[in-house]
Amino acid sequence: MEIRPILSALSRNKTGAFLIAAQIALTFAITINAAYVIRDRLATAARPSGVDDEDRVVAVRFAMTSSQNIDALQQRDVATLRGVPGVESVAITNQIPFGGGGWSGGFAVGNTRESPNVNAGMVFDNGDVLKTLGVKVIEGRYFTPDEIMVIDPDTSRDTPPVVLVTRELAKAMFPSGESVLGKTIYLGNTPDAPAVRIIGVIGLMETPWASVSAKHLYSVVFPQRLLQTENQYLLRLKPGALEQTKQAVLAALAKNDPDRVAGRDGLASIAKMRAKRYRGEHAVAGLLIAVTVFLLIVTASGIVGMASLWVNLRRKQIGVRRALGATRGDIVRYFVTENLLITGTGVVAGVIAAQLLNAALVRQMTLPQLPWPGLAFGVVALIVLGVGSVLGPAVRASRLSPALATRSV
Amino acid sequence: MLKMEGVQKIYRTDLVQTHALRSLSLEVEEGEFVAVTGPSGSGKTTFLNIAGLLETFDGGRYTLDGKDVSGLSDRERSKIRNVKIGFIFQSFNLIPDLNVYDNVDVPLRYRGLGGGDRDKRIKDALERVGLASRLKHLPSQLSGGQQQRVAIARALAGSPRILFADEPTGNLDSLMAREVMNMLEEINVQGTTIVMVTHDPELARRMHRNIHIMDGQASDFDHGSDSRSDAPVDRIAPRIVASV
Repeated sequence: MEIRPILSALSRNKTGAFLIAAQIALTFAITINAAYVIRDRLATAARPSGVDDEDRVVAVRFAMTSSQNIDALQQRDVATLRGVPGVESVAITNQIPFGGGGWSGGFAVGNTRESPNVNAGMVFDNGDVLKTLGVKVIEGRYFTPDEIMVIDPDTSRDTPPVVLVTRELAKAMFPSGESVLGKTIYLGNTPDAPAVRIIGVIGLMETPWASVSAKHLYSVVFPQRLLQTENQYLLRLKPGALEQTKQAVLAALAKNDPDRVAGRDGLASIAKMRAKRYRGEHAVAGLLIAVTVFLLIVTASGIVGMASLWVNLRRKQIGVRRALGATRGDIVRYFVTENLLITGTGVVAGVIAAQLLNAALVRQMTLPQLPWPGLAFGVVALIVLGVGSVLGPAVRASRLSPALATRSV
Repeated sequence: MLKMEGVQKIYRTDLVQTHALRSLSLEVEEGEFVAVTGPSGSGKTTFLNIAGLLETFDGGRYTLDGKDVSGLSDRERSKIRNVKIGFIFQSFNLIPDLNVYDNVDVPLRYRGLGGGDRDKRIKDALERVGLASRLKHLPSQLSGGQQQRVAIARALAGSPRILFADEPTGNLDSLMAREVMNMLEEINVQGTTIVMVTHDPELARRMHRNIHIMDGQASDFDHGSDSRSDAPVDRIAPRIVASV
């Protein structure tokens, strides 16, 4: 390998080489961080919700305006919805995964000010919510029918004595790893905070707001049906029944209460609500992908352009090298080696710049640090891009005739 | 050493065919110092390109150092150029970004020689041309004559069997031209065959023999054939065969 002569020649043509190396360094620093943000955002958007089939579980949200007897209306609605063809199960709840809005409260292991509060979603389950969502109890037991309370918030401030918690919340509240079954937690950390006993642990269950932090999996499930107008019905449909069921469900509910105002989304699947929730993540990822591709194209074009210019400037020199015995392969190797040296320098500078940029992003966007495998992949990708970009001009150079050596061009 | 029989070269464009060499036949013996003369456009450079395996030819037969080179691949031709042939060009053709040492090193690297062997050959060759003290100089820091001496060192470093020189003194003043010619003659005396294209009749007279190329054919010298042609040369080699 003629690395030393190539370095020697490059040292006398610094500007072009420096510009390409700088462009590669900048591209590397930006694209590796962009790729990592893209990966992070897409991973967030792809997090499991705990719902076993998001296309089959749908929610109907509405505000009831005319009925004075909400308890009777809820029971009539459930009975009606169970009769709609394509509906497998119906539940009444106050909030749904990815729903956007819902209840949350601070939970503590003690009812004193010293006990730290852990904020978690509060899910009201009429006894059918977990079944309808397809969420399983992984430890302990589910509610018995007699534990389900019907609570009118206008007349009662009762709280059910037993709850289920999600696994992630259990870990956060009891980090020692001991079983949480039978443990008492408090709805707040004040002396008068209601105490509830944990009777079961459920696996994943996404909160309505699906936040980016680990808290998106913190939920407490209460065995209660709340008599309020903003309740929501969760329906589990038979596979592929969404379209045919949609109008029937809305019509049935309208028949039970003609004055009812349906929510903006009407009947929306969990999958649709997930897409809506993560629209921002997908938009950022798409934008960054576009910027990354654009940068890579610009960089590749820069390398192709510079290599083509150098080939044109060195036509005579290439002819002389061929005359002196260089094979076509030697000429290709020369340009590829030259490019590897420039790209390698750019990538090394890029790794440093990427780390600096990442450090800033970690501070500003609470991103985790760049993983070394990702950096290594970026290094390989940029070098492949560099070599791939120079191959065309290098092969064209190798096809120049050695007779150029004797021409006065 | 070099034998061409009926070699033809035709340059083609969409509209025109140009017969650069028309059934050219000639022979150069080992150890000879031959001048190739002829007017501009006569085919001298085409002859040199084909003889030096820089270009392929369209017909005839060419034997170099006992090997028929007619059907060789590009890679095989490169190998022969690298090992058996040395080139000296009118405009020196040194690589401007490389110093003297690295310029002489270029063909040796393509031969795949080890670092120690290359170093010895480079220093010996530069010693031979009197430039051993200029290893780190760039071509731009040397005079024309010195640059041509570096080019000669580059040609000699690979110990070629034959040297092709394309007007090696064309860009030099008379003093430097004489110096370079003396050097080439010395190289020839030491056994290297040299074929030199030249416009200079004085130089041609110093050769063992002259080959005159006219209209793509090697032919007997004719003093009155071209008013622009070179001055008379001493004699025309009996081995030159004019053919149609």
